[in-house]
Amino acid sequence: MMTVPNEPKIRLEHVGKMFDSFVALDDLSLDIRPGEFLAIVGPSGSGKTTVLNMLAGLDRQSSGTILLDGKPIAGPGPDRGVMFQDYALFPWQTVRGNVGFGLTHGPAGAGLDRAAREARVARVIDLVNLGGAEERYPHQLSGGMRQRVALGRLIANEPEVLLMDEPLAALDAQTRLVLQDEILRIWRQDQPAAERRTVVFITHGIDEAVYLADRVVVLGSRPGRLKAIVDVDLPRPRNEATRATAAFADLSRSIWELIRDEAIRATVE
Amino acid sequence: MARVGGLLVYLRTMAIFALAWYGLSLLVGSRLLLPSPLLVLDAVRQSALDGELLRNAGISLLRLVLAVAVAALTAIPLGIAMGLSRAWRDAFDLLVEMLRPVAGIAWIPLALFIFGIGSRLPIFIMFYSAFFPLVIGTAAGVRNVDARLLAASATMGVTGVTRIRHVVLPAALPAIMVSLRLAVAASWTAVVAAELVGAPSGLGYAIEYYRSMLATPTVMAFIAMIGVLGFLTDAGLRALEARLMPWAKDIRP
Amino acid sequence: MRTLRQLALPLALIVLWEILVALSGSPRAPRPSTTALKAVEMLADGTLLAALATSLGRVFGGFVLATLLAVPLGLAMGTLPVVERNLDPLVESFRPIAAIAILPLVILWIGTGNLAAVTIVAYAAFFPILINTIAGVKRIDRSLIRAARTMGISPLTRLRTVVLPAALPSILVGMRIGLGIAWTAIIAAELAVGAKAGTSGGIGQMMFVFYAYSIQLSGIVVCMAAVGLVAMLLDRGLRALLARAFPWSHP
Repeated sequence: MMTVPNEPKIRLEHVGKMFDSFVALDDLSLDIRPGEFLAIVGPSGSGKTTVLNMLAGLDRQSSGTILLDGKPIAGPGPDRGVMFQDYALFPWQTVRGNVGFGLTHGPAGAGLDRAAREARVARVIDLVNLGGAEERYPHQLSGGMRQRVALGRLIANEPEVLLMDEPLAALDAQTRLVLQDEILRIWRQDQPAAERRTVVFITHGIDEAVYLADRVVVLGSRPGRLKAIVDVDLPRPRNEATRATAAFADLSRSIWELIRDEAIRATVE
Repeated sequence: MARVGGLLVYLRTMAIFALAWYGLSLLVGSRLLLPSPLLVLDAVRQSALDGELLRNAGISLLRLVLAVAVAALTAIPLGIAMGLSRAWRDAFDLLVEMLRPVAGIAWIPLALFIFGIGSRLPIFIMFYSAFFPLVIGTAAGVRNVDARLLAASATMGVTGVTRIRHVVLPAALPAIMVSLRLAVAASWTAVVAAELVGAPSGLGYAIEYYRSMLATPTVMAFIAMIGVLGFLTDAGLRALEARLMPWAKDIRP
Repeated sequence: MRTLRQLALPLALIVLWEILVALSGSPRAPRPSTTALKAVEMLADGTLLAALATSLGRVFGGFVLATLLAVPLGLAMGTLPVVERNLDPLVESFRPIAAIAILPLVILWIGTGNLAAVTIVAYAAFFPILINTIAGVKRIDRSLIRAARTMGISPLTRLRTVVLPAALPSILVGMRIGLGIAWTAIIAAELAVGAKAGTSGGIGQMMFVFYAYSIQLSGIVVCMAAVGLVAMLLDRGLRALLARAFPWSHP
């Protein structure tokens, strides 16, 4: 992208969020590098989704600043694509219509003629393995296919930053593994870092975070706050063999140690 | 198979009903009080042949279409504005809540004074009856549009009129269609009353006219026509719904 | 500030109405000021309340009758597929026929008295209650019925202790819709009868008499306001009453 190296793509400075008198997030400072795959994990109540909504511009922080390429975030914009937890697909649009929605009706398609837009939609549908399902409506799709549509809609707009809120939470374990690899492929993990987009990936799956991310941000709960940032120095490209390594297991375990007590408390409350 | 079976059951029920009616009419023995189904069938045939049935039905139907079209063209935009904007809601809510409970039918005497007897009276009454279900249903539908869909379109830079056209309107369409069906049903009820009192033509007028002529079989023929048209308009709206919303085919309750 | 915004349009329309009629110089046309005076007069001499009482009495009679007929029939149609299959054609045939359309027949058979009015109201309220009762029964969670069966509860007891309470929210919705339609139907019926002859009384006929024999039409507007007010109070009242009687449902 057009960013100066070493400048963060996104910078959060002492960001806090209150809902009435409830503190959802307390004093979070964090730099997100361009081309980085950043995962955020934490128990429920740690403000993960709040962080993502603020990055998307759907929520405003109560204190602190959030900078995108050095400029404060004022609202939602096509430079940051969001994949919502429950996908938020348009039920009246087919797979093709959903994937192409931003291109057809939003600024992402400006400067593209109809043929170019259609070509890109077709390419994206191919990329997320939805060939043959183009004319189906969301309610006619399985959970995994809906998730692919949401992913396709996200990348078709080619945003510089991809924000994903527990995108795989609703899927069964097997589909989740397959789609993790697909997300890595679309992020271009086999390309040099300069070719990649910036991803912020919210999850409650520690294994998932370790497998996907360059760094894992661990949040604590009540109030949500930064607990640790864990560097994941596993080599790329990662694949099934990665999960079997001792380093993978060690990282997962150390992150689990960080949030175990709160996670258990969260299930009891 | 199920369809054929359903048709058989339908015919059987209606046959039993007709038989019971026939028996009762023999018992009553007065074609003024309770004509037999055969006499009514004959009246249907006669009114159909001399064109009275279809002419009056056509007039009522035309008035319905006109009134509902005007109501839809005014109420749906107003409902969208009220659903989207607090300022519009504040401005119109009280007026709507004041006028809505006053049934369209209750406007008939005043409308008689304003419009006199003629086509404008039933059209106004039907418009009024259709307007409020539409405005309230549209506003509620727009307010209930899934906030995530609005957020999703905002993150794709889709805003303003484009968002209304491509997100708000389709998302509220199921609610709008439901209120349209309610509006048409309310209009149908109103047309009979309005024409009965204040129009020189139409189904309501015909019913009252033949009643005063003591032609009970013809009265019944016209009542049946109202039922048939009411059923057909609703079926038509359901077909329109299915066409406009193919995506809702399997999820509609 | 907000209240002011909310009041602005209705107030502006009322002022506009007053001015327009005053300018037109029509002596019969009602305007807000004459309407208010007329309302005081009609309230003071008791005619308005008497007419409303007549109409309301008919509505309650017909509404109770419709409920007593429609709820048991709806329960039967909802629980027994044989009953539903066989009666559905009749229901679907008569449902699109508005109550006001059968008024001529009712007049022919029963005349224009209270019994005729109650019949019209009952017919009008019957279908919404029936349809919603059937739908309510059919939407009952199957596992509730199965749970009751595993406890060895007999079908009739089950109807009373499981089916009826579970379908109640939907039945109450039907009753609310039915009451609203019944109120409209009685106005229409009284108006239509008033228009043709007869002394049926009630608020609908009162309106028509104002139109036909009065030089000054403010009374009509008073009646219209009363019709709207009663419609609103009926709806709110029924909702409050039912919410209190069946606290677990949300009518």
